Amino acid sequence: MPLDTHVVLAQGFVEQLWLPADYWDLSIPVYLFLAVVAGGGFLAGATAQLVRWRRDTQPGAIESDIARWGFLVAVLGAAGAGLAVLSHLAVIYRALLFPIYLTNFSSWITIGTWILVVLSVIAIVCLLLSLFGTEAAADDGASLFPRAIVAKLGLLELLDGLVDRVRPPRVVIVGLYVIGSLLAVATIYTGFELAIVETVPLWNMPVVVPLAFLFSGLAAGVGLTVALTVFFEREVDPVVGGYTLATGVLSGLSLVTVWYGWTEIATSDAPAAAASQVALTETNLAVGAWLVVVALAVALVVGLVVGVAALTGRGSADLERVAVPALVGSFGLLVLGGLALRIVMLLAAQQDPVVVLG
Amino acid sequence: MSEQWMFYFDPNRCIGCHACSVACKQRHDRDADADDWRTVSHLSRGEYPDFEEVPISMSCMHCHDAPCEQVCPPDAIIKRDEDGIVTVDRDRCIGCHYCAWACPFGAPTYDDEGLMSKCNLCLGEGPGGGHGQPERQTPEDGGPTPACVDDCVGEAIKAGPQSEVMAEATEKAAERFEQGAYGKRVIVEPLEEDADLADAIREGDEPAGAITYEG
Repeated sequence: MPLDTHVVLAQGFVEQLWLPADYWDLSIPVYLFLAVVAGGGFLAGATAQLVRWRRDTQPGAIESDIARWGFLVAVLGAAGAGLAVLSHLAVIYRALLFPIYLTNFSSWITIGTWILVVLSVIAIVCLLLSLFGTEAAADDGASLFPRAIVAKLGLLELLDGLVDRVRPPRVVIVGLYVIGSLLAVATIYTGFELAIVETVPLWNMPVVVPLAFLFSGLAAGVGLTVALTVFFEREVDPVVGGYTLATGVLSGLSLVTVWYGWTEIATSDAPAAAASQVALTETNLAVGAWLVVVALAVALVVGLVVGVAALTGRGSADLERVAVPALVGSFGLLVLGGLALRIVMLLAAQQDPVVVLG
Repeated sequence: MSEQWMFYFDPNRCIGCHACSVACKQRHDRDADADDWRTVSHLSRGEYPDFEEVPISMSCMHCHDAPCEQVCPPDAIIKRDEDGIVTVDRDRCIGCHYCAWACPFGAPTYDDEGLMSKCNLCLGEGPGGGHGQPERQTPEDGGPTPACVDDCVGEAIKAGPQSEVMAEATEKAAERFEQGAYGKRVIVEPLEEDADLADAIREGDEPAGAITYEG
């Protein structure tokens, strides 16, 4: 604990400054969350496509659906994150001209902008390649629904032909997947955006907060991809089981990290940390904190049980019957929990007391 | 950097009249209801009749390490080499509020345009008025005295190059500053009534009757 804070506390003069709520309206937690969800969706999509190529499966294989839903989650997540953060800014055009204006590369906002923008572009390319062209035309599944929209616009033939003409060799696409996957993991920057703020003990945990944000966001992204796939395909095969298990493990890692971080805050005697602890346990935010814990715990249990059963093929008939609703429900809850984590982490934050006494 | 400018505050001399924050608003032509670049907080302890209050006047401290400058994505916040004053280029600010997150003193404010503005140590006048100005001059060299210093009735606030401010501080305040008190961002006189208590705590002794925070 800083010496200055100790002196102030010992004297009993404590002035606490809440950062005004308009410094971080709801758009900020939405942005912090969706950016990592996009990363999770991309990881699910890229790995599913690689699995499909490796196994050389036929059109209609579930890997294709996972890939398309994953890339769609990535594109929509990144777009949502971008819109959310732009809506928070006072001068949007300067942010849109980020190569000119965002020149401070020691700022996580600058670094994060580049990560999110490049990830968005790669995700869009991967989504288009998976949705259009001769190969996609021979495929089926609900994940191809954008083709129906494009067909209604009368552009399907044009788009299929265009994608076939510009489709790069597989090795290039694999390269895109690798770069995109690295950027997906780099969405950990959303945690660093908070963790470097030294005046807020709840955030200033440079390992815990970034890992908690990464694990929970990736879990939500992969989990959302799984939920969409099983909701439309009504099938929980070993491939889906692998992603289900991964979601459960990521949820478990999130739970451990969040629990450790909040325990650290609870044991800290810094006044701002104590105030955050009170906010997390004794105010309306406690509902959100419990939602986070329950969502992560449920996703952990369901992910492990259903995932292992699907992978080993040892699930009982009852388990098979409830697998789809269990996955959709628990992973839907996981998405809410991941967003709730960011909201409570922002709203329960408090700056250290003003220190000018002693 | 030639020499870091900084603020000095003596809580023993502050009467909590808010003349400093009003003077700041007048100098910089800011609306009466605008957020203060210089604020006066009244800290208290105890309950009546054992109640004490002490006023604290604060602003941007033009930190030597300027956390706001480090996080500002468009490089709109500049820690000037020539005098250490932290200025804002509002033509680059995107209004992301990240500087407010990082500031230990709650100094950044945001106007109707959503752009950041704060104390520029009266280097210039108005929001962003300090950006691009030449090196800060002391009053002896023809520079303006900061409005808050000018109008402080108890001479509780001072400002100037570090060596000059240190020369005017008490030995105890200067010594504590050198030891790193307040992150070496501002020179503050110890409260006279509690100076011994503060020293005891700093030296690791358990203070008698210390009040601790309980949430």
